[in-house]
Amino acid sequence: MKDEMKKEREFQCSDLEHARMEDTPKLRTALELHASDCAACREELRIWREISAAARTMRKDWPAPALWPQIQGALETEIAKPRGWRAWIGGAQVAPGLRWQTALAVLALMLVSSTSVWLLMRHTTPAQPADTHLLTDQAVQQVEQAEKAYEQSIDKLSKLADAKLQDPSTPLMANYREKLDLLDAAITDCRANLDKNRANAHLREELLSFYQEKQQTLEQVLREE
Amino acid sequence: MPRPMDTAAETARAEARAEDARVAELCRAGNLEAYEELYRTQSSKMKSIAMNLLGNKHDAEDVVQETFLKIHRGIKHFKGQSAFSTWTYRILVNCCYDMRRRKVRRQETPEQDLVEENETFEAPAVASDHPLRLMLEKCVAELTPHLRSVFLLYEVEGFKHSEIGAILGISEMASKNALYQGKRKLREMLSVRGSQVAVSDAGECV
Repeated sequence: MKDEMKKEREFQCSDLEHARMEDTPKLRTALELHASDCAACREELRIWREISAAARTMRKDWPAPALWPQIQGALETEIAKPRGWRAWIGGAQVAPGLRWQTALAVLALMLVSSTSVWLLMRHTTPAQPADTHLLTDQAVQQVEQAEKAYEQSIDKLSKLADAKLQDPSTPLMANYREKLDLLDAAITDCRANLDKNRANAHLREELLSFYQEKQQTLEQVLREE
Repeated sequence: MPRPMDTAAETARAEARAEDARVAELCRAGNLEAYEELYRTQSSKMKSIAMNLLGNKHDAEDVVQETFLKIHRGIKHFKGQSAFSTWTYRILVNCCYDMRRRKVRRQETPEQDLVEENETFEAPAVASDHPLRLMLEKCVAELTPHLRSVFLLYEVEGFKHSEIGAILGISEMASKNALYQGKRKLREMLSVRGSQVAVSDAGECV
């Protein structure tokens, strides 16, 4: 106890800045003890406290009787809307300023999907079974292995981009985050359908296009300053 | 042996946490009454933060409404790593930043000019005003958005540094540091403007 008191008594004027920055109960007590004997520090402490006291009167409040009914109305509309990636693709949850970007992204996704399907059908040999959308068991296994590897690579990319995506002060990052969430939802949806029909080549292509889109988005995130 | 007051405080904290989780769960289920409860308990603080960050009532109310919509849209991503109320304030502050950016971009004016446009601050609700308040409000508006947010959340709204850390996505230490930097800048600004309260006769410490 004596040692502690001694330590508090040893507080110097030069410790003032440090004490205010750290702001621990111990340093606060030491500063107060020191200020009782030091006019300069006492004055600094007074000003510091005046700022805090004035700040407490900065709290604003005013009656806003129309605000909750407005929010309630907006929430009711929102709750009634379809949710998930299909709604997003339809532009339901996208700000007007982002609609053209959404349209462009959808167009790019459709282009990639249709080109992939076209290429797959074109390269299918006549010896293959009549249903070109169905992959053989061996091909399914190979595709699943490739998908797994691709997914792992994207996960690594995700981890790298995660720090940037968590930045709360960047609206662009919030948009990327929202897009990635929706792509994840689309991937989950697609995978659920694939679980029911593993050999569906069209669904495989769609899944691939979602992965590609996710990869590109993550790369864009990493490129952002 | 814990003191009775400590136990009571701990019980109160546990009850508050449980209530917070209950409201979050109901909001996740799309329960409008839960949103109304959230509005009843948090909107006053939300309006105050938004008003101090944006400078006018109209924008503050718009941002509070936007915040509720974003809570609804994002609730599925809320993992309970922080208190639900803290998470809602994080959304609110982000909405305020977004609105400020939109306004600056639209008007192509620097942040500071935007602040001066909105100088008609309302009188506070608290009965005891402070002679320094008006000047302090002007000075606070000139701080960088980060320092301003930390100062407002801590000194005006009474959040703890740990809560501010969760709201702004920074560490507790960074919050303490930003508060210190902000107050130091405010003290300088008040001295330059000749505030009676802030001009020290005692001189600087050695």
